[in-house]
Amino acid sequence: MKVSKEARHVARSLYRDSLTDGRLDETKVRTIVSGLCAAKPRELIPILKTYERLVRLEIERNTARVESAAALDTAMQQQITGQLQQIYRRPIAAEFGVNPELIGGVRVRVGSDVWDGSVANRLRELGAAL
Amino acid sequence: MANILQEIEQQIAGAKRGVAKQNVGTVREIGDGVAKIEGLTDAMLNEMIDFGNDIYGIALNLEETEVGAIILGEYTHIKEGMECRTTGRLLSVPVGKGLLGRVVNSIGMPLDGKGPVKSDTLYPVEKIAPGIIKRRSVSQPVQTGIMAVDAMIPIGRGQRELIIGDRSTGKTTIGIDTIINQARLNRAAEQAGDKSVRPLYCIYVAIGQKQSNIVRVTNVLEEQGAMPYTIVVAASAADTATNQYLAPFAGAAMGEWFMDNGMDALIIFDDLSKHAVAYRQVSLVLRRPSGREAYPGDVFYLHSRLLERSARLSEKAGNGSLTALPIIETQLGDVSAYIPTNVISITDGQIYLETDLFYQGIRPAISVGLSVSRVGSAAQVKAMKQVAGRIKGELAQFRELAAFAQFGSDLDAKTQAQLERGKRIVEVFKQPQYNPVPVEVQVGVLWAVQNGFFDDVSVDKLKDCQAKMTDYLTSRKSALMAKILKEKALNDALIAELKAAVTEFKQTYR
Repeated sequence: MKVSKEARHVARSLYRDSLTDGRLDETKVRTIVSGLCAAKPRELIPILKTYERLVRLEIERNTARVESAAALDTAMQQQITGQLQQIYRRPIAAEFGVNPELIGGVRVRVGSDVWDGSVANRLRELGAAL
Repeated sequence: MANILQEIEQQIAGAKRGVAKQNVGTVREIGDGVAKIEGLTDAMLNEMIDFGNDIYGIALNLEETEVGAIILGEYTHIKEGMECRTTGRLLSVPVGKGLLGRVVNSIGMPLDGKGPVKSDTLYPVEKIAPGIIKRRSVSQPVQTGIMAVDAMIPIGRGQRELIIGDRSTGKTTIGIDTIINQARLNRAAEQAGDKSVRPLYCIYVAIGQKQSNIVRVTNVLEEQGAMPYTIVVAASAADTATNQYLAPFAGAAMGEWFMDNGMDALIIFDDLSKHAVAYRQVSLVLRRPSGREAYPGDVFYLHSRLLERSARLSEKAGNGSLTALPIIETQLGDVSAYIPTNVISITDGQIYLETDLFYQGIRPAISVGLSVSRVGSAAQVKAMKQVAGRIKGELAQFRELAAFAQFGSDLDAKTQAQLERGKRIVEVFKQPQYNPVPVEVQVGVLWAVQNGFFDDVSVDKLKDCQAKMTDYLTSRKSALMAKILKEKALNDALIAELKAAVTEFKQTYR
């Protein structure tokens, strides 16, 4: 979808208004979305789509998706979350999932950063090196 | 066998090491060789992006939430939602003498079926040009073997001389002739074991040309024995705009290796008009704002940063050089279009080829009035300066008088003499393609013209007389020619010898 400069500008300023102390405020996001839908400005859909994208990227930036070949126990989950918060120096919410394709090990993705300690990745690297 | 096991163990040990952070992104949009990628927050400008399966891209647009990358190679294998990662590397190409005699693409991969390229050095495609401290002024000539160029528009090593003209006016031929002449000189020096001659290696970059044309050029170079000193970088019309955009930069990187290692190289960009068109396509697909003729705003910088990379380095910096001969194709002789004016202003002069002259049979169809070399005269051989110093002026005077003479038949003897001399100069400068003339022969012939030895030869017989004289000088007076080449200047003794030789020839010529 083609998004005009104005729509992008509006979405960006709305996104800035959704932050409290530099962090996304869920209440503000809900208020802004419902307000927008009620006001129905020109280019409502492009504005909403751009706004949604900015919010999604911010959520991804503060959310760790942890995948492992087998389910992790609570202690391990807490350890990973703690280490991630130490690295990023900000609260990071963690979502844990199981992916048997990894064969073994863990893969963590925060925004566009990836720590891939899975066996599948190491095998891929080994294959490329050989 | 034990070695192989050790290597595998090393690789396994390497794979066991701690997990490194990677920066990844997701392909959001793909088309026309350009991908829009969400993520890649750590991507650098011009960094290579790994799409997996040996497909790479280059990050050209770094935006707030996404990265615009151009894809090298087959982009149809890339799908929306695919993951890609940064590599921390800039696009590099193999460089070195192992590339001589090869035809490669924009990323240095062989296209000639002669096996892998032998090179262990890589150079980044984009590199900052040598600074002012490392440079020195042009002082050594590039002998093109084309009489009109060597006499009137001399080119020096490290110079950027534009070859400009309409379609099929002989632009490529000037480049090819120059390459052939360098091969002739390099081979002669090798055979004589002359270490004082600095070989000039050539790089021919074909951008957006028909593949049949590229094959024709490489065949000519093969036939003339020029390939052992030449690298051909080919990005044909069938290649993606990305590859066409990168080809001249890859060629420049290959040339820079020779320059950095104290050698001399010559690079021909054939042609930069098509390069600008390829860059326009890439820029428009990347949604960069367009300017005049829909070219992006930085099209001037694109060519200036490319041509600035040719330089003559100082003794301290290795004394190497990179000479550039960019080619520009004009439309109906319009030199004031956007790209031609840009490149004219960047280069140190231009050789302007005219369609009218070409069809009048004056080949190379160099328009003397519009062609100029701003720095080359400093590099011209002194003997050539002595004999050709006045020729450009005389030719310009002839053109003026010829136009004037059309209106009247009664001309004074002096004007008539000037017209006759002019006609002979024009005739002497006609030269068939792929037939470079050695500089010492050029000096001999031009001296004969200047001193009126051709005045009694009719214009239609002049080419025949010139050919016979060239033959006479090279076969019967080879010692004199060798002396001129060695001395590089005409002193009184040499002039007397030359006069005697030409007089002797004239007595025998029928």
